[in-house]
Amino acid sequence: MTHRRLAAVLLVAVLAISHLTGCVGKATGAAQTELTVTGSTTILPIAEVAADMFHAQHPDLRVLVAGVGSSAGIESVVNGTSDIGTSSRDLKPEEKSLGLVDTPIAFDAIAVIVNPSNPVKSLTTSQVAQIFEGTISNWKGVGGPDLPIGLVNRDEASGTREAFSKIVLNGGAFDPKAAVLPGTGQVRSVVAVSPTAVGYISLGFVDASVKALTIDGVAPTEKSVADGSYPISRVLHFFTKGQPNPLSKRYIDFVLSDAIQQDVVRAAGFTPIKKGAK
Amino acid sequence: MTDSLPAPSVGEPVEPGRQETPTGSAGEGLSTISRATYVREAVLRNLFLVCACVAVAGVALIFLFVGWRGYPIFAKVGIGAFLGGGVWHPTQGDFGILTLIVNSLLATVGALVLGAPLAVGTAVFLSEVAGPRVRELVRPAVELLAGIPSVVYGFFGLVLLRPIVAKVFGGLGFGLFTVWVILAVMIVPTIAAISEDALRSVPDGIREASYAMGATKWQTIWRVLLPAAKIGIIDAIILGMGRAIGETMAVVMVAGNAPVIPNGIFAPFLTLTTVIVMDMPYAAGDHRTALFGVAIVLFIISMIFVASIRLVSRLGREVG
Repeated sequence: MTHRRLAAVLLVAVLAISHLTGCVGKATGAAQTELTVTGSTTILPIAEVAADMFHAQHPDLRVLVAGVGSSAGIESVVNGTSDIGTSSRDLKPEEKSLGLVDTPIAFDAIAVIVNPSNPVKSLTTSQVAQIFEGTISNWKGVGGPDLPIGLVNRDEASGTREAFSKIVLNGGAFDPKAAVLPGTGQVRSVVAVSPTAVGYISLGFVDASVKALTIDGVAPTEKSVADGSYPISRVLHFFTKGQPNPLSKRYIDFVLSDAIQQDVVRAAGFTPIKKGAK
Repeated sequence: MTDSLPAPSVGEPVEPGRQETPTGSAGEGLSTISRATYVREAVLRNLFLVCACVAVAGVALIFLFVGWRGYPIFAKVGIGAFLGGGVWHPTQGDFGILTLIVNSLLATVGALVLGAPLAVGTAVFLSEVAGPRVRELVRPAVELLAGIPSVVYGFFGLVLLRPIVAKVFGGLGFGLFTVWVILAVMIVPTIAAISEDALRSVPDGIREASYAMGATKWQTIWRVLLPAAKIGIIDAIILGMGRAIGETMAVVMVAGNAPVIPNGIFAPFLTLTTVIVMDMPYAAGDHRTALFGVAIVLFIISMIFVASIRLVSRLGREVG
């Protein structure tokens, strides 16, 4: 937690400096030229690239992006230090009365992947949880062959692991005997060549080398993610206090444009919130 | 400036930049070397001193820094709980590294059991068996092994060896066995080079005496040369151990990094070095301090290795 606090302190310092230097225009009533976006580190890849592209298109406008965690992002937009708070979780009940306006910008769907040769095609969420907690350790336990399950987990720095743990394990602990790999690519390549392996990666990174399992009867597709029926998925939010101000609106519209949704969002492994024009 | 100094001896080739160095008159008593030569010698001597000081200062600085950053963890969880605790789950406040120490030792010992005979065999081959032409072929190949970056070994292990291990023995292919094979190959050049030196430094008279007694080549190697060179070979093996226990990149890619004592040699495990490279990018607070604590432990282990090499060498001198 300390590094988040440190990041928050740094952010405040940056804001203070920017207020001293850059935002004189604001005080005199001119149009706002600087936008502050803080919050989820998961959303950072989208928000940062979008900010750079936005600045490239509008050289006079700057978007400051900081990854401090979803809760800190929501807090900062509530108390006015940020224009937009980004969050990879929904609002808690006590946050719902704070007047925040939600703009969903992408889905973060996680596929449970196995080797293409694995006869298992479909699992329930609770079976997935039991597999990753270590209670089911043989494929026989879920209707597969009599082979030990080769668990592949991500490292704790991974946002995917954090999301998977929250959505699937729901507070339970990962089996500590699982292999821990430091990247989506490694998880995928290991599962691709190991017949008994099971792992999880962002849906956007699934390719033909692995098989994404159907969960609770729903296959992970962009459609099932978008209509909310695929269970291992969460919505990535932009929160503003009240309706977005003009500059926030321009940035949010830019993030929702095809340029970001179809390229940047997909490249980061997420699922676009809007159907592409193509 | 130059005008006021006595001119260097005539006929000495002197670099123009050197002669204006204003030193005292220390060199004047020696008539055989010129002032410029003296200065050059003094500069070089001090340069080497500075080099040595930089190395020592580097070690001292690293040790101080690591110690300064890491010692709070000993105060926080206690040395006993840190070194003796079996649960490593830093994000939940469990900072026991016994599992990691045991895993590091398991990885090292296994690598030595596989790698040391291979390396000593290579050394014997290079020093006693191979003809000059074969030797000129094999030795550079072995030396090349030492030059391959460890991340390449790791990549090789991850992409090529691990799937083979997985296919033959089941499981994912991560684990002690895969690490042993990779580390064994990695420590061969270290052990082989030093062992070969040790074997070559055995005087030829001893070989000739052995053959003169009617001993065969094998008997000479096994009964005479290896015992005669054993101190050097033990040194070599300890250095190989140091390399194996400190290796990180190759291990992190094939170990599987599960913070438990592996249930068999084909199950994932985490070591002292790999935990640092896995956790450092995101560790904060006590977690980060604990990683520096792990670094202190690694430092102490390598100091023990160096000390034991010196001890072995001293014993060797006393015996020999």
